[in-house]
Amino acid sequence: MAEKGITDLSGVVHVIFSQIFETINNGLLVIDREMTIKYWNRWMAMHSGIAAEDIVGTSLFTHFPELDQPHFRRNCKSVLQFGNFCYFSQRLHKYLFPMPAPGSLADSFNHMQQSCSMGPLRNKDNEVEMLYISVQDVTEVVSYQKKLVIMNHTDQLTGVYNRNYMESSLVKEIDRCRRYNHSMSLLMIDVDLFKIINDNYGHPCGDYALKTICQRITSNIRKSDSLIRYGGDEFCIIMPETSENHAYKVAETIRTSICDHPFTFADMTFNTTISIGVASLDLSTDDVESMLKKADEALYTAKQSGRNSVT
Amino acid sequence: MNATAEEVFSSEEKDILQEVMNIAFGQATAELAEVIDIFVILSVPNIKVVKGRDLPEYFINEMNGSNVVNLVEQNFLGKFSGQALLIFPSGAEKELIKLFNQDNAEDIYNVDMDTLEQETLIEVGNILIGACIGKITELLSDFVTYDPPRLLVQDLSKSTPSQFPVDEDSFAISIRTVFRFEQQNVEGYLFLITKQRSIQWLKKALQTFLESFM
Amino acid sequence: MLKSLLIVDDSPVARMIIKKCLPTEHNLYIYEAGNGQEGVEKYQAHNPDLTLMDLTMPIMNGFEALESIRALDPNAVVIVSTADIQEKVIQRVKDLGALYTMKKPPSKKSLAEALERGAKAFAQVQK
Repeated sequence: MAEKGITDLSGVVHVIFSQIFETINNGLLVIDREMTIKYWNRWMAMHSGIAAEDIVGTSLFTHFPELDQPHFRRNCKSVLQFGNFCYFSQRLHKYLFPMPAPGSLADSFNHMQQSCSMGPLRNKDNEVEMLYISVQDVTEVVSYQKKLVIMNHTDQLTGVYNRNYMESSLVKEIDRCRRYNHSMSLLMIDVDLFKIINDNYGHPCGDYALKTICQRITSNIRKSDSLIRYGGDEFCIIMPETSENHAYKVAETIRTSICDHPFTFADMTFNTTISIGVASLDLSTDDVESMLKKADEALYTAKQSGRNSVT
Repeated sequence: MNATAEEVFSSEEKDILQEVMNIAFGQATAELAEVIDIFVILSVPNIKVVKGRDLPEYFINEMNGSNVVNLVEQNFLGKFSGQALLIFPSGAEKELIKLFNQDNAEDIYNVDMDTLEQETLIEVGNILIGACIGKITELLSDFVTYDPPRLLVQDLSKSTPSQFPVDEDSFAISIRTVFRFEQQNVEGYLFLITKQRSIQWLKKALQTFLESFM
Repeated sequence: MLKSLLIVDDSPVARMIIKKCLPTEHNLYIYEAGNGQEGVEKYQAHNPDLTLMDLTMPIMNGFEALESIRALDPNAVVIVSTADIQEKVIQRVKDLGALYTMKKPPSKKSLAEALERGAKAFAQVQK
């Protein structure tokens, strides 16, 4: 393969660069101004299942038609015109070349996650003649990032969302309702006299009670609703596209699921109840603070009216 | 060197530098429009030599009035070396999205709006910076490599942006242009802060540029 | 044959470069102006055969100066010199009466072409 630009170098140096090109643990391909593939390294062959001899000389878009987008072409033009570098982050694109995710991660990802970049290749007259694309497998890193995000949002004891999640989630949800003119409701839940359970039956029992309460609540809400533990025995539920009436009904169902059925832990059986405050989004006036306040006040009223109730 | 900022370049060198930058930014504007379909107006660049330690203050003065901004920062390395800073006013990202993406871009990419907005800023910034530096270096027969661009959100009333890659005692050249996306009604600043070691090379390159017409 | 040339550009370097790119044996009388306003004044005062006009200038830019000169003298032969040669700029100056647009930076070749085309256009309007 005579490589223009490297023909000036001695044979020894050429051999070194060839080996680097082929054996580096990174995808590397070179395309010209017409998007024809000029070089395709071993990593690309291995992970795409397409051998170099089958793809060199053909158009990039023949084998990868999904790349033929204004975005991709725009970046190519920029590199060819201005000689700069362009980047395709995993964050936005996920991947450029569809390839299988590494074995251990194949369950969590349909495709290998990739961070790609492109850069100019100049000829003897320093004009940009071709460009290279570098493909990096970042599936593992992304996997860790996802785990980290989940851990950050999850309450360790009960497995439901935690307070961190609530704050960002509520902001996003209210924004979304504003944009699309939807409704939403917020349920604020407090376990009545939880301290007594801990004092009488011990903390392990208290933990069990919380976990069970969460299970019962979860079985009574939709997938789109978010159950959040934001205090020791305090929970809230963000319910998108839910009117106040409907939220109230759901709250009642949840309330009875707790008070009507006793809890059994080790050899102890006991009953407990919860109080619920219901608040609905008023699109014209509400923000996160006022929503939380409304729900809080409703919860307070529920408590005042004798607990085990919904307001 | 004990020279003052004014003495770094001779009067003639300043004129040549100004003309080279004028041409570069003009060409960048034309090529962004014709090749990339990005229609942006770049104002005639304002060029100033500033001492490293005076950069933060100079910067704040230039940006007077702006508070929270989005900053795209990118280092470039060649004989012409330094840092590019692209400053977008807060909120610009929402307008610039329309530049590139159809309305349902959020769904196409399956990411949230924040990510899409940030990535759009980075992409626009990268191309804009590449266009300007690309034309400058082409006129002066140099070519550069770049670090990946970074996006920072900064409250300028609280701190000056980033670490300028210039020693306190060194000189930097600040090349500032106002860019304006007319259709999207977005206006911001582009600063190219050049390192001291590029200054010697630049003086020679400017002479070479002038002599090429003789 | 052209006898006089007016160069309107706020950059002394740009004016110098244009002069350097003129053919060595040119016999042109050269006038210079550093902004659009000065350009119009010098045009009025000296009536040059050919004008080279930059666009981005302070006080009065090239578009306005071009328009003014053409209003004063519908036969004025003006060539615009600019680095921003995108289609809409080229069209705009054409509509304002420019002969054509010359790309910056100039070269000996592009100046030779400017003189040739300028001379032709000048000869035309003399008739």
